[in-house]
Amino acid sequence: MQRLHLKDERTFSEEEEEKLQQTLGIDGPELELVLQTLEFLLQQAAYHAAKPAVLSQQLTQLELEQAKVEAIVSVWTTNGRDVLQKLRQQTLHPSQLEDINWRLNLQIAQSSVSKQKLPNAMFELGVRDSEEGVGKKKIRVEFTHSELYQFYNQLEMIQKQLDGLS
Amino acid sequence: MTMSIIQVTGTGKSFANDRTPFYGVRVPTEIKTMIKPLSKLDKNIFRKILVLIVTAIEGKEVEYKQLKELESKDFSEEVLSIIYSGLLKLLQNALRVPLESLKQELFKEDLHELQIPEDFQTDLASVVFGNRRSTIDRVSILSRPRLPQIDCLKWRVDVGISTSVLNRVLEPTVLMEMTLSDGNIHTFEVPVSKFHELRYNVAFVLKEMEDLEQRNVLKIKD
Repeated sequence: MQRLHLKDERTFSEEEEEKLQQTLGIDGPELELVLQTLEFLLQQAAYHAAKPAVLSQQLTQLELEQAKVEAIVSVWTTNGRDVLQKLRQQTLHPSQLEDINWRLNLQIAQSSVSKQKLPNAMFELGVRDSEEGVGKKKIRVEFTHSELYQFYNQLEMIQKQLDGLS
Repeated sequence: MTMSIIQVTGTGKSFANDRTPFYGVRVPTEIKTMIKPLSKLDKNIFRKILVLIVTAIEGKEVEYKQLKELESKDFSEEVLSIIYSGLLKLLQNALRVPLESLKQELFKEDLHELQIPEDFQTDLASVVFGNRRSTIDRVSILSRPRLPQIDCLKWRVDVGISTSVLNRVLEPTVLMEMTLSDGNIHTFEVPVSKFHELRYNVAFVLKEMEDLEQRNVLKIKD
């Protein structure tokens, strides 16, 4: 269940799979089938956001043993919400904003002017790129008071849109 | 042609307090060098050179040939260049000091100590204290070194309806396209939780800035 939202990853490592084979008393291909079946059932439950009662009924209809049905339903009841949450937040977009750091400075002089009191803010936005080998990009921007206020107003407009959705 | 550097000494007048002249503790070389030729300079040519200098200070382009045009049998382009450099240095030093800290009479006193002819003192004072000053100050601040700023922010709010793994998603995301002043364009997605963090931080810094501007008027003395 914990790994359901991760794409392209095998749930258990090779060592773990070997141990499972021994514990369950089945061989390689059989273990493969068991794991794939369970994954499929849970993925389908996630896709349809199945309610535990409905899931229970449908699994029984597939003629699974009652004990097994109960096991699957209980795991789904406990962890289903979290999995759905994670899956909902999955995105196709390559770049995500991850970090927000800032610094507030007071400029007191420059080469052409002395004795100043000019506040300015520096923001560093860490953007993670999901492409291989690109790593995290750091966007560094500077704002004066009025420039920051302008930015804030734009963020407020976006917030209004988000508020309108709920 | 030989150049002589004059030792600029005080006129023997004492200062009321131990005040540092507007150009600093020592007279800059460029100013020292120009004093002698300046004393012989004709007022018209002085004014023309001053116009060129003010144009340059206001951030506009000045071509060398504009200075060379002023050449005459009394004043070679070399001497004109010396005068130009000296006057430029003098004005740059004066303009560095905020208006509140430099009084016009003291400025003229310093000019007098430098042996700048009285005629020219008035013209120089009008650059520093006249109505061009606000433009000059604005250009100075605009030309400071800066990190990139956000030139344009485009955004989009999307709501995912369904995906290959989930029949019903209904989760909003924010997409941002930031065009910076260095020409770079950054496009990225902002998850809703991160967006709230961003908004919170921006509001926080804004408040801190406002506090800083209030506090600082009281604490930092000129």
